[in-house]
Amino acid sequence: MKLLAVTVSVGAALLVMTTATSYAAGGDAVFKKSCASCHYTDGPAKEKTIADQLAKKGPELWYAGSKFQKAWLAAWLQDPKPIRALKYNSLTDKNKGDHPKSSAADAAALTDYLMGLTSPEVKAGVIKPATTPQAKQIFNKKMPCSGCHSFPSGGEVHGGLSGPSLVGAAKRLNPDWTYAYLANIKHFKPVRDMPDFASVLNPKELEAVAAYVATFE
Amino acid sequence: MSRFAMMATMVLGLALGVAGSAQADTKQVFDFYCAQCHGEKGDGKGVNVTKDFATDPRNFTNKADMEKRSDEDIRGVIKDGGPSISKSPLMPPWGATLSAADVDGLLAYIRKMCDCKGK
Ligand code: HEC
Ligand code: HEC
Repeated sequence: MKLLAVTVSVGAALLVMTTATSYAAGGDAVFKKSCASCHYTDGPAKEKTIADQLAKKGPELWYAGSKFQKAWLAAWLQDPKPIRALKYNSLTDKNKGDHPKSSAADAAALTDYLMGLTSPEVKAGVIKPATTPQAKQIFNKKMPCSGCHSFPSGGEVHGGLSGPSLVGAAKRLNPDWTYAYLANIKHFKPVRDMPDFASVLNPKELEAVAAYVATFE
Repeated sequence: MSRFAMMATMVLGLALGVAGSAQADTKQVFDFYCAQCHGEKGDGKGVNVTKDFATDPRNFTNKADMEKRSDEDIRGVIKDGGPSISKSPLMPPWGATLSAADVDGLLAYIRKMCDCKGK
């Protein structure tokens, strides 16, 4: 009798597990096979030291569903253009633009899987794209953002190279994520070569900057 | 080898090991955070210094410039950014990112690069 109960519950557990796997429609499996060697997807953040960050072969994706816009992600996976001017974790080598390309079917499955990876730190629907004199002043003058990030200005690309390019951020990044990232950077990236600005800019200023970044075409 | 010599060698080895690793760590901190603009050699020629960069990042190998700065100035500018010593805001405030020990390590590392003391 006892044995039967155990068998039944193990069977039920297996059933639940299989259903859960097939629900992910393959994106999870494709990811494990083709992507997990360079990207981790089980948060929270694992990096504790500079060495941990330097050992990574690609950016962490455990909050990809909060960070990226779905349409951008699906298109980029099929035709990945460089985001960082430099090779990941390098300050000397160029980004060769050799990110693996996915087929349309794989990209769709991967997008569904990645968009399901979200962070409760990101409040939805708060930041709307907007250019304000205050945000321009902060980004270009008061704070060093433009020293490390390239960004579009007057039809040209300006700025530094060590950070990811913010050209195209309007289509790539979720503005609510950008705000959450600026406000609580340690949650997403405990170890990174971008300073923590939450103690030098107040929440209204951070909102304005996030809204401004969201206008970068 | 006498017991004393053996002990002494071990202690020395340990001390060297510790000093060696502390220095390696500071180099790693410098290369990760500061080299973006100041360059790994500290000559102010980091990868961000393009034609758009509105100022020259400090060249730490310039003894004459660097000895004008006190240790307190250097600690302050690392923590609070360029404006804290009336310099460019392109030098970011790293106070919320680096520990006090990191900042002390960087100060010593920079003083080594300039081969100078603060006045
Ligand atoms: C050989 C290592 C490697 C593999 C394999 C790899 N990636 Fe990447 N991935 C990278 C690197 C490096 C970048 C940064 C590219 C850039 O900045 O242009 C990146 C960037 C990304 C980004 C943008 C992340 C961000 O924060 O900018 C996404 C999304 C992504 N990869 C998804 C995938 C998926 C899905 C797969 C599997 C099909 C995959 N990657 C396979 C190394 C890899
Ligand atoms: C000292 C250089 C530096 C400065 C100054 C800097 N950043 Fe960054 N930023 C980086 C780096 C490096 C990353 C990538 C960190 C990582 O992925 O490990 C980054 C990431 C970002 C991202 C996420 C981009 C992406 O695609 O992942 C945004 C948005 C951003 N920064 C905005 C800003 C804003 C706004 C400011 C000014 C308030 C600023 N940054 C100042 C270096 C800098």
